[in-house]
Amino acid sequence: MSTIGSDEALTERIGRYLAAQMGRAPRIGRIKRFPVGFSWLTFLVPVDDRELILRLGPDDGLFAPYSAGPQVMAMQSLQGSGVPLPRAFWHSDDPAILGAPFLFSDKAEGEAVVPWVAPTEPPLEEGLRIRLANQFIDCLAALHRADWRGQPIAAMAGDVDEDNAALRSVQTWEALIRRWQMRPYPLADWGLRWLKSHCPRAPRVTIVHGDYRTGNFLQQDGAITAILDWELVHLGDPHEDLAWASMPMYKGGTPYIGRLAEPERFYGRYAQQAGITVDMASVRYYQAFSLLKLAATHMAAARCFEEGRFNDLRMPAMGSQIATCLRQMVKTIEAGEVKA
Amino acid sequence: MNNSFPRLIDGLCATLRTEVLSRLDDEFARGQVFGVINVLNTFKVRADWSAGFLLQQIAAQQRALDALRPLVGVPLPTAPLPAAAPAAELLARRDEGNRALQSVMQWLDGEAGAALDAERRARIEALLLQAMRAEVDLELKHSPRPLFAEMSSGREG
Repeated sequence: MSTIGSDEALTERIGRYLAAQMGRAPRIGRIKRFPVGFSWLTFLVPVDDRELILRLGPDDGLFAPYSAGPQVMAMQSLQGSGVPLPRAFWHSDDPAILGAPFLFSDKAEGEAVVPWVAPTEPPLEEGLRIRLANQFIDCLAALHRADWRGQPIAAMAGDVDEDNAALRSVQTWEALIRRWQMRPYPLADWGLRWLKSHCPRAPRVTIVHGDYRTGNFLQQDGAITAILDWELVHLGDPHEDLAWASMPMYKGGTPYIGRLAEPERFYGRYAQQAGITVDMASVRYYQAFSLLKLAATHMAAARCFEEGRFNDLRMPAMGSQIATCLRQMVKTIEAGEVKA
Repeated sequence: MNNSFPRLIDGLCATLRTEVLSRLDDEFARGQVFGVINVLNTFKVRADWSAGFLLQQIAAQQRALDALRPLVGVPLPTAPLPAAAPAAELLARRDEGNRALQSVMQWLDGEAGAALDAERRARIEALLLQAMRAEVDLELKHSPRPLFAEMSSGREG
C-alpha cells in the first residue's frame, strides 16, 4: 500500500483521473475496500449515481509486479461471448496516476460461493447446486469457444500453438517458482521435469482463465452474474482450466467438482457445450500441473510474509501447504502413469 | 513451515495489535491479548523450530544420498548427521541436501545420464523420489489440520 496511500489521498487521485477521462468533474463518494484476495486490491467507488469497481495491483502484492493489460484485454475480448463479466472502462499501468496499475469496471451484483467450508457447513441446496453447476460449466465452455483471433487478447498470443501450449505454460510457472522459492524444493523440480517431458497436444488454443474455480464467480438467486479474477488469463490448452477447477482442495468436502458438479456432468456437459473432446490423460496432466502451480502460489505467499510485505496470517498458513500440494502432485502423476 | 520462526512471531504480534486489539473493547480481553504478545516475544528469543523434526528429515535425506553416491557421477555431501545443532544450521544442512538431490536430477538429464542403462537409471530415480517423498511426508506428519474454512469465514468449524 506504500505507493497507494490513504483512502482520502486515493479518492482525490481518482477524482482527478476520472475528471480527465470524463471531461467533467464527477462526484466521488466514500470509497470502500473489500477485504478479499491476496493480490489485487478491490475498491467500491461511488461515482455520481452509480458504483464502479476499482482494482489496484500494489507493488507489494503477492504476484507483483502487476499489469492491468491482460485482464482488460480478456474483458474486452469476451464482450458478447456468453461469458458473464464486468465491463472494463479505464485502465493504466502508470503508477503515477493512482500509485499502482489499475482498472475500473462495472460492479457486478451477487455473492461468491466459497470453496473452503468447515465440515459442519451444510451442503448447497440441491436445486441451487445443479443450477450453478450447469452455468459454471456453460460459462467455461463459452470462454473456450470464444474466437480470440482478431480480438485485443490476440496480442498475448506470442508463438503459442497446439503443440507448445503446455510447454509454454510450464515454462512460465518454472520462472515464477525460481522467483518465489526461498529454499530448494527438489520435488518441484521433479514435477517440472516430468511435465516438460509429457506435454500433451492441445485440442485447440483458447483463452484460459487461469484461476477458474468456485470462489471466483458471483451468483445472485442461482444465476451466475460474473466470472471474476482474470489476472492469470492467457492463451493455451483448455484442459488447463478443467484441471484447475477440479482440484481436490476446491471440492469443499463434497464429491463434486468445485462443490457443484458431478465429474460426469462436468466433463460431459462441457464437451457438448464447448465442442471439445475432453482427453482425461490431459486433464490428469494439467491436474498435476495445477498442484505444482498451487505450490508455487504458496511459495509466493510464504515469501510475501517473510519479506514483511503483509502480516496477514493466512500467508504463512498457505506457505505451510507447499508440502501437501507437492505430495498430491506426485500421487496424481503416479496414478496417471499406472493407468496409462 | 516455510517461514522463519522470528518472522512468524513478529507477524503474529503485529496482527494481534493491528487487527485484534484495534477491534477489541473489553479491558480484560485486551489484557489477555497483551499477555499472548508477551509470551510470543519470549518464544522469539528463547525458542525455534524443532530440531528433532529437522534431524529426521536430514537423516532420511542422508540415507538416500549414501545410496545414490556409488550410482551417480556428481559429488554428494558426506558430513555425518549432527547429534544436535541450532535450527538455522539444520535448515542449512537440509537445503544443502536438497541441492544435492537437484544436482543428481541435472546430471541424469545431461549426457552422462542419457548414457545410463535403464535399470541403473530407474534405481537412481526411485532413490531420488524416495528421498523427496520422505521430506514432505515428515513435514505433513508434523503439520496440524489446516483451518482454511475457519480463516475464510471467521467462524469455528
